[in-house]
Amino acid sequence: MTNPWTDIKNSDCIMIIGSNAAENHPMAFKWVTKAIEENGATLISVDPRFTRSSAKADIYVRMRSGTDIAFIGGMIKWVLDDMEAHPEKYNMTYLLEYTNASFLIDPAFKTAAELDGKFSGFQPSDQNPAFGKYDKSTWKWQTDENGIPRRDPTLKDPNCVFQLLKKHFARYDVDTVCSITGADKAAYLKACEAYASTGAVGKSGTILYAMGTTQHTYGTQNIRAYSILQLLLGNIGVAGGGVNALRGESNVQGSTDHGLLFHTLPGYLSPPTADQATLQDHLKARLAVYATSDPKSASWWLNYPKYFVSLLKSWYGDNATPDNDFGYSWLPKLNPGTNYSHIALFEAMAAGNIKGLFCWGQNPAVGGPNSFLERRALHNLDWLVSVDLWETETCLFWQEPGIDPASVKTEVFVLPAAASFEKEGSITNSGRWSQWRWKALEPVGEARPDLEIVVELMLRIIELYEKEGGPVADAVTKLRWKNWYDASPLPRGATSLVDLVSREINGWAETQILNEDGSVQYEKGQLITTFAHLKDNGSTSSACWIYTNSYTDKDGNKQQSRDNTDYHPAGIGLYSKWSWCWPMNRRIIYNRASVDLEGKPWDAEHFVIRWDPAANEGKGGWVGDVPDGGWPPMNMEGTRYPFIMKATGMAHIFGPGLVDGPFPEHYEPVESPVRNLLSGTQNNPTIKVWRPEEIANPDEYPIVCTTFRVTEHWQAGQMTRNLPWLVELMPQMFVEMSEELAEELGIKTGELVTVESIRGSVQGTAIVTKRFKPMLIAGKVVHQIGLPWHWGFAGLCTGDSANQLTPHVGDANTMIPEYKAFLVRVKKGGA
Amino acid sequence: MSKAVLVDLVRCMGCRACQVACKAWNDNPGDLTTICLGCYDNPPDFTGDTWSLIRFTEVEDESGQLHWVFTKRQCMHCEHPACVSACPVSALQKLSSGPVVYKAQNCIGCRYCMLACPFHVPRINWDEVLPPIKKCTFCADRQSAGLEPACVKACPTDALTYGERDELLAEARKRIAARPDKYVNHIYGEKEAGGTSWLYISPVPFTALGFPELDEEPIPELSEAIATYGTPSMLLGVAALLGGIYWLTKRRAEGMQERAKEK
Repeated sequence: MTNPWTDIKNSDCIMIIGSNAAENHPMAFKWVTKAIEENGATLISVDPRFTRSSAKADIYVRMRSGTDIAFIGGMIKWVLDDMEAHPEKYNMTYLLEYTNASFLIDPAFKTAAELDGKFSGFQPSDQNPAFGKYDKSTWKWQTDENGIPRRDPTLKDPNCVFQLLKKHFARYDVDTVCSITGADKAAYLKACEAYASTGAVGKSGTILYAMGTTQHTYGTQNIRAYSILQLLLGNIGVAGGGVNALRGESNVQGSTDHGLLFHTLPGYLSPPTADQATLQDHLKARLAVYATSDPKSASWWLNYPKYFVSLLKSWYGDNATPDNDFGYSWLPKLNPGTNYSHIALFEAMAAGNIKGLFCWGQNPAVGGPNSFLERRALHNLDWLVSVDLWETETCLFWQEPGIDPASVKTEVFVLPAAASFEKEGSITNSGRWSQWRWKALEPVGEARPDLEIVVELMLRIIELYEKEGGPVADAVTKLRWKNWYDASPLPRGATSLVDLVSREINGWAETQILNEDGSVQYEKGQLITTFAHLKDNGSTSSACWIYTNSYTDKDGNKQQSRDNTDYHPAGIGLYSKWSWCWPMNRRIIYNRASVDLEGKPWDAEHFVIRWDPAANEGKGGWVGDVPDGGWPPMNMEGTRYPFIMKATGMAHIFGPGLVDGPFPEHYEPVESPVRNLLSGTQNNPTIKVWRPEEIANPDEYPIVCTTFRVTEHWQAGQMTRNLPWLVELMPQMFVEMSEELAEELGIKTGELVTVESIRGSVQGTAIVTKRFKPMLIAGKVVHQIGLPWHWGFAGLCTGDSANQLTPHVGDANTMIPEYKAFLVRVKKGGA
Repeated sequence: MSKAVLVDLVRCMGCRACQVACKAWNDNPGDLTTICLGCYDNPPDFTGDTWSLIRFTEVEDESGQLHWVFTKRQCMHCEHPACVSACPVSALQKLSSGPVVYKAQNCIGCRYCMLACPFHVPRINWDEVLPPIKKCTFCADRQSAGLEPACVKACPTDALTYGERDELLAEARKRIAARPDKYVNHIYGEKEAGGTSWLYISPVPFTALGFPELDEEPIPELSEAIATYGTPSMLLGVAALLGGIYWLTKRRAEGMQERAKEK
């Protein structure tokens, strides 16, 4: 989230799309309730299903699964049209000064409006011309002789981003959008008007989204659509605004921060690739992306080398020296062009290319897409280690009904893990607050905290490599683990293993560091107080640069702070001394965009920061949240643009960084009941289709299906399907469908039904409800149903897994699976 | 002065934390259920182990607008409880602080209270020999220690507010007046059956949510009549009949559970 949960209360309009916040974030939903009751906010719920969140909304708009870009694209067009007619209703200064709306783009660039759904530079693949990749050489702005982007402040030039955006979205008129999405026109217009009203200076709107947005073959572009809408309305950086990803688990934010995804290292650094032979090659490639010649652009990622070297120092300690590139050669390298995502790994496993698997707090036999396929892939393993609280379907895959255990050769190990209440450590919530948790009770039986498990395991692996050697022995034996995590007493004053790791994440001075005047800035072993002090010469370490400042010698572990006073002068509820927030305890990021060129807030009542000329003995200073850099306002010397992580300092309405286009374009899900109404390009042309033979024909599978979660169960179900109190509430796998579809199929509520996709079938109890309705899509009636995905064959309460139906296909940029839109047919009774 | 709870159905989002908190505080086991009704309600009604539950109601108003209303139901803790006056041995009592409480050691098992209650709340565990009456206690134990009821404590959206009855009535009126577009102008329990300690405000009429339409008169008059003219033998007959029906229903539910497991 760009903004914290607590800030939602400041919003004037909240749009929940691709999320069911009331259901899946019930505790945090109180801030939505506060906004409605105390700030008079309007709540808009956009969902194929009328959900518990929709039940609380002022405006509910039904939308067919997978049509977010059409839905939001129509809103963008609505705003652009209104903006031209009534510029006074919008914050044009924000648009001109803080976004790249005025940038002039290469005249050779063509939008998808001009090329039948594709952007310029598309190169079809030899095997299947419907898919391919882009040559992005035309996706760039023009620059002047100093290398600074050329701009048209009138926004009239046909090559400026604003005009290109208009051209691109001109096709997204209300009638077309409603025909694609199935939205009710009157409700859609009401939502457009309500949300666009947050474009007024001093008003704010927030978009809350979750996996309903991301789990599509164009999930990243769904979020881009939200971002563009928010930038047009001046809603980024302000209180009550933002693009807010509601994380699906309590510590998803923390796990991505610390590099658990396949394409990032901790702190969103890039994993090196095989063609980057030396540290310099890697750093050069990264720096080229962030180069700027504009003195007003901070382009913060130019500090990349400091963070990267500090990470290597943290991992390899004294073994990392300037002479050995700080151990760069020991890092594993990605093969360019090879995909390492969940789907790719399971395809490799199905092909017999992966022999061992650590499954850590994950249950792909229930949660993975095409879970029948993934369960079969597990049979190809020599060994499987499952670290979990319970025996999951994944670790019991050899006991799946219909499988003869004797036919499975895989050796399975179970390492029982302690639950969150049985261990100490930090979790980072969706709002980037890293909050410490203390142990409430001892772990059950032999269960141990994950940290202890991983440390003991790795220490033993290091010993084995020391004894037996191996091709990558140095990568393991040179790590700073031995005589460090097992030292007694622990190094550098740490009081426990988790305390040591927490300090390590923050980072230390690895040598004495001097100021320019020769005085001592840090003694060796002192904790670094800001990432601005991290160095690329090996004198500092930090295991995750964005967490530097979370633990200091002066204040201790700030993640443990528990003062719930709101110290913000405008009382907007930032709670700066409750836990600690990355980066630098900044609660609302891009907050320099919340003020005008003189540093005056757009919204004086709910200001985030404001420039006080009298502060600092008349030198001036910022008041409020920690600003995105302390530079003075835009009208003063030494200023910087607000979007400091971008090379140009401007927010990207035109975003050339993704693989599938600088603007979002509507495509149909891989399995769709209709042809794309907007172009001849049916699907995102840059995705990888793993199993083309497993794409269903809408004549055979006419019903749109989506998956969802319920409050009463948690993810793949192990933590809740074993608790009788929760099993009582949601005892069985079920299938939600409209009264109209049920009547068509002769199904009564409470009856057993079978749902089939081309990949498998599941059974569940029908819940016939008014909350689903048939939709009119491109003139034809389309039904949609929904399945919860919590069930599996193990545990106290069992049932079929909805993911037996979902496809092995993912987003073009992130490879997140397309769980949320696929085709099925429904039959009365069991199979 | 007596304590009460205001249930705001506009705020409730049906998470059922209250239902679980009730079980946790009272050490009540989970009931064995199925989706027999074809909706989220589970268990479908009060049981000896479920004293508080949420009902899910889909209501389309005259404009075609769909409301999905989540209604927490439990003992209403009437100001003039019919169950108390129906009880021949004072096993049930209305405390001046609000709760209607039950003393199992006084109970003779006549189950007049079950017949008398206009909200059909009291239950017994038919499995047990000499089963005691089971129902929401309004957490009289917690209240006596100065704590709010367990369900109120668990509610994440402040849909449940605990306090003095007079003050909650004023608060309810305030909320209705502030957003007449969101509430119907009716505080259920203010006057029904002579008033209850649990008060409700709602986005739709209460009849659509299955609340009985009751007069302002307290019900004890009626229950006293039953107590006077009914006979224990007649009631034993009723109890036996109810027990038989329960046994059959339960067997059916267990059968369904078994079938679910077999597949």
